[in-house]
This record gives sequence, C-alpha cells and structure tokens, in this order.
Amino acid sequence: MLSTDIHDPPPERLPLLAAAEVQDDLLVASNDLDRLQRLLSDASESLIGHFYAASDQLKQVLQTLAEHPDVDTPQLHRTMEHVAGAITAMQFQDLASQLIQHTAQRLRGCADRLAREAMGDDDDGDAVVEAPPLRPNPVTQDEMDAGSIELF
Amino acid sequence: MHSILAVDDSASMRQMVSFTLKNAGFNVVEAVDGQDAWEKASSRDFSLVLTDQNMPRMDGISLTKRLRENPKFKSTPILILTTESSDQMKQAGRAAGATGWLVKPFDPTKLVEVIGKVIR
Repeated sequence: MLSTDIHDPPPERLPLLAAAEVQDDLLVASNDLDRLQRLLSDASESLIGHFYAASDQLKQVLQTLAEHPDVDTPQLHRTMEHVAGAITAMQFQDLASQLIQHTAQRLRGCADRLAREAMGDDDDGDAVVEAPPLRPNPVTQDEMDAGSIELF
Repeated sequence: MHSILAVDDSASMRQMVSFTLKNAGFNVVEAVDGQDAWEKASSRDFSLVLTDQNMPRMDGISLTKRLRENPKFKSTPILILTTESSDQMKQAGRAAGATGWLVKPFDPTKLVEVIGKVIR
C-alpha cells in the first residue's frame, strides 16, 4: 500500500505567477466594489437630504394654502404623491449595499484561498483566509418593484 | 398616537421608514440593530415593531423571539421588513412569532395599509 502512495501524482498546483496575478485581479475587483459602496452611500445621503428638504418645502406650501380654501391645490397634492412614491426607488442603496458587501466578501475569500492553495501557509503559521459567506446572497431582487407582503 | 419601533442598521432605510410612518401620523422611535431595539423596547411600550432581518449584534428573528418571551410584547404586532424572500427564512420568522413578512423595497402606501391592519 505504501508503494502505491509513493507513486501517486503530486497534487496539481496553479503556477505561482498565475496565482499571484489572479489574486491581484480579485483584490482589485474587491477594492473597486468597496469604492462603489462609498460612492453609493455618499450619493444616497445627498439624494435623501434633498428629498427631505423638497418634501418639507412642499408640506409648508400645502399648510399655507390650507388657510386659503379658495385656492385649488390638486397639482400640489399630486406632486406630494409623486414625492412619496419615490421612496420605493430610493431604497436602492440598502439593497445595493448588501449585494456589494456579500460579493466583495466572496471575492476576498477567493483571493485568500487561491493564495493559500498556491503558496501554502506562512512561515509563522496558517495563512489568514477570509471565510466566504456561508449563505447565498440575501438580495435576490433584480428590479426595484415593491416586494411582497405576507401576513401570518 | 401609536408608537412604532423601527429597526434597521441602514441609516437611509430608517429615514425612509420614519418619513413614511410619521407622515401617516405615527410616532416613530428608531433603533440601529436588534440589540438596540431590545434595550429600547425594555424601557417603553410600542404598538408595533417593524424590523429588518440581517443586522449586526442581533438579527430580526432573534429580536422577535426575545420580544415574544416578554409578556409585554406577547401580542404586539411584529413585522419583518427585509431583502430576504426565501420560504425558509419566512418560516423561521413565523416560528419566532412574527406577525408578517415584508420584502424590500417597500411601497409607502402599502406599508401604511398593512400596519393599519395589524396595529391595535
């Protein structure tokens, strides 16, 4: 049995240079996703700030006009409805953020595993490998239509 | 006026939920995760809890279980508002004692309608 083991082929390994290049690409993609995350967060904060400011202004105008029953305000009410309706689409940042976070974690896990498989552990012990997400991506939506509601 | 505890680790989601519910005439208290919600719920009463599922420290299903162990929240409606839409997660929410499962993104009109249905 021992002689059979000796003749087993050694485990195949990715050439070091190729492994290093693929790892670099994965880390660049992961860092770009982190940057995208910050861009989205910044844009969302600004968008929401302007949204609330516009909404407050509209409310004040409607309150002022309420004191003048002779003034017809259906257009303003419809505008307010449009503003409220934008809330569904404005939740993109939360969904996109979770999607990016999950994907970036998976990419870092792949890069770490690739490095470990190709280069082995560090001299001072096991290589630090970021664990890939245990669960599938929690975000399965691919459009911003309102989600389902289920009462138990 | 009904008080609603709105729980989400995303600041933008908390803002949008608060905006929607305050416009509908509710008083809203925000919590940044399940642990924060649990601490806030321990010190005051709420007519309804609206919570995200995936959050650091304590998720929505764990929060629901803990609230249901407290007699004060035994019959308080608890709605889970989340990106998660798998049947397995919904069943876990139901088993924990949630009143309903809402998948993000929410429609403000429908959110207010469903809250009106379940709130006491």
